[in-house]
Amino acid sequence: MSAVAPVRAFVRARDHRRRTWSDHYITLVALALAAMLVTPVLVRAVEAVPGALAPERAGAGLALIALLLAGGLVLARAVGPVSVSAADAAWLVLSPLPRRGVLARTLLVLGAVCVAGGALVGLALLSALGTPDALTLRLPASVVLGVSWTLGGMSVAVLAQGAQSWDARLVGVIAVLVAVAVAAAAMSAGPGSGVLAAAASAPVAAWTAAACASAAAAAGLAGRAWSALARFPARAVLDASTRVGLAAGALAAMDPGTLTWIAEDAHWRTRRLRSRAWPVRLPGAAAVAWLDWRRLARRPGRLALVAAAAVLPVLAARAGGAGWAVLLVLAAGALAVAATSTAGARRDAGDPALARLLGAAPRALLAARAVLPAVLGGAWLTLALAGLDLAGAGGSLWPLGPLCAPALAAGALRLARRRPIEHTMPVMDTPLGPVPLGPLRWALEGADIAALGCLPALMAFAGGVTAPLLGAQAVWGAAVLAAYCAAARRG
Amino acid sequence: MAVDLGGAAVLRGVDLTVSPGEVVAVVGANGAGKTTLLRCLAGLQRAEGRVSVLGRPPADEPGFWREVALVGDEPAWYPGLTVGEHLELMRAVHGPGRLEVAAALELFELGGCVDRSPVSLSTGQRQRLSLAMALLRPSRLLLLDEPERGLDAAFRQRLAGLLADYSAAGGTVVMVTHDPAFAQAARPVALEAAA
Repeated sequence: MSAVAPVRAFVRARDHRRRTWSDHYITLVALALAAMLVTPVLVRAVEAVPGALAPERAGAGLALIALLLAGGLVLARAVGPVSVSAADAAWLVLSPLPRRGVLARTLLVLGAVCVAGGALVGLALLSALGTPDALTLRLPASVVLGVSWTLGGMSVAVLAQGAQSWDARLVGVIAVLVAVAVAAAAMSAGPGSGVLAAAASAPVAAWTAAACASAAAAAGLAGRAWSALARFPARAVLDASTRVGLAAGALAAMDPGTLTWIAEDAHWRTRRLRSRAWPVRLPGAAAVAWLDWRRLARRPGRLALVAAAAVLPVLAARAGGAGWAVLLVLAAGALAVAATSTAGARRDAGDPALARLLGAAPRALLAARAVLPAVLGGAWLTLALAGLDLAGAGGSLWPLGPLCAPALAAGALRLARRRPIEHTMPVMDTPLGPVPLGPLRWALEGADIAALGCLPALMAFAGGVTAPLLGAQAVWGAAVLAAYCAAARRG
Repeated sequence: MAVDLGGAAVLRGVDLTVSPGEVVAVVGANGAGKTTLLRCLAGLQRAEGRVSVLGRPPADEPGFWREVALVGDEPAWYPGLTVGEHLELMRAVHGPGRLEVAAALELFELGGCVDRSPVSLSTGQRQRLSLAMALLRPSRLLLLDEPERGLDAAFRQRLAGLLADYSAAGGTVVMVTHDPAFAQAARPVALEAAA
């Protein structure tokens, strides 16, 4: 028994919220229920694995998997995967207790998450490449590949949190994954489809060998991460624990909007900037709105990422996504891109003190602040629709992009200015169970006005683009934004 | 005027008249209603009775805020802007005011952190930035809630001088404070708990 175990037992024994038999029973029932719900979905997913390779689907699927893994590593690098509770951070990390013993629980949880996530990645891999034969052998090999990738990636992220040299390697892994995604996306368009065919039709022995090699590499990395825990720097754990603690607090208080503030402040706190004069020709409201333009210019990497994300709807379409799924990716992407440029409105909605000090008129300010999200959202949607048109998945849809821009701006501003979740709202009984209206309303705010403003465009998606629908979208989108700005009040 | 919050009396029978060019320090124990009084003057809290600021009822609208500057709890800083740019922004919106940006940076001892994000500053530095933003812009009335919060003793003295200059130029200051030395130069108004 390590020295940490008696300390944890001591704390557990004095915890007034000690778990009872009924708590354990509820946990078991919940797990059983989750298994009952998830198993049929997994069975259906395995049954749907195609037998023959479709290069378009395979390339797009591989690209999405690579992007998913890269995104997971970026998130792990930003948050710092090794973190502990606030109490452990205060009393156990800064103590003579063996560091590995204190952090072991976190690493076990990370391992479990990697195994579950990796299994899904493996299933997605098989679903993308298809299986010409021996599904029962290829499926476990694919799952082992997925688990190895997630476990290996997480191990590198853990090592990167503790040592700068490993951080550079982690950045390299992320870059390689993005390059793989780009290459796979290019292959899905035609060139290099032979490589995909070779990977998919490789004999089972090759798949098994690849799985064994990946598992060995992942085990090596996991072992190294486990060894590194013994001398893991307290500073790295404390920083990550603070970030995770703030995020957990925001989630516990059911105010996920706070997470955006936390991430934003964490980003700028460590940056060294250079002050620049404010443009003198801008009138009052436009001068205030300029801060979002300046903030955007200071994050060129994010802008490049946003532009690159315009390929996601094409990948979703090529990976075999249904029409409604592609539309969902388009809508969520365009609204998210527009919302990236509404930090000023978000701050003033949360705390109008600076807005009062500035004395800008709310309606004029909102109108000035709508320009940037309209430009970004409209440009992204235009790019994404043009991509779909080029890929043959659309039918001259791109003119809808700029015409939807005002509605996207209105939706993004409403998203940024929404209040925290109102838990006093009633719970509605539905055939699927009780639905709390507070979180539901919170989740729909922003998307509602964007969807309303894009109604003609949605009709065009369903029935084809026509000149009257384009005209209607131009007028209706602008009208929705004008009405939203006219109804604005401070905060 | 009087204010009830949640059925409890917070302010009762408060009668306060402040002349142009005056500096008034509202003092009193915790819970005496000092901040509530300030919020009433800013039009952020309804009150029974008559409240008139600059000759009209206070209202949370742009015209009012062009003449009144309020510094209360720490504001939410705009992400991605530096200390210098927060001051620049204030000048860009209000036009030439009482101070130039460079002068404000020097006066509030913020020259060393002009290129830093406000969220990376200490509590006292952030409070100085809040006060600098309020004093840089043109205004006729300053409403300050515990302006001494986080400031060192030397800077409190300097702030008292800055407020005296502001009132000498015709501005009016109403501030809530717990620092008797800071309140010395002002007309003290003592509030007692209503309940």
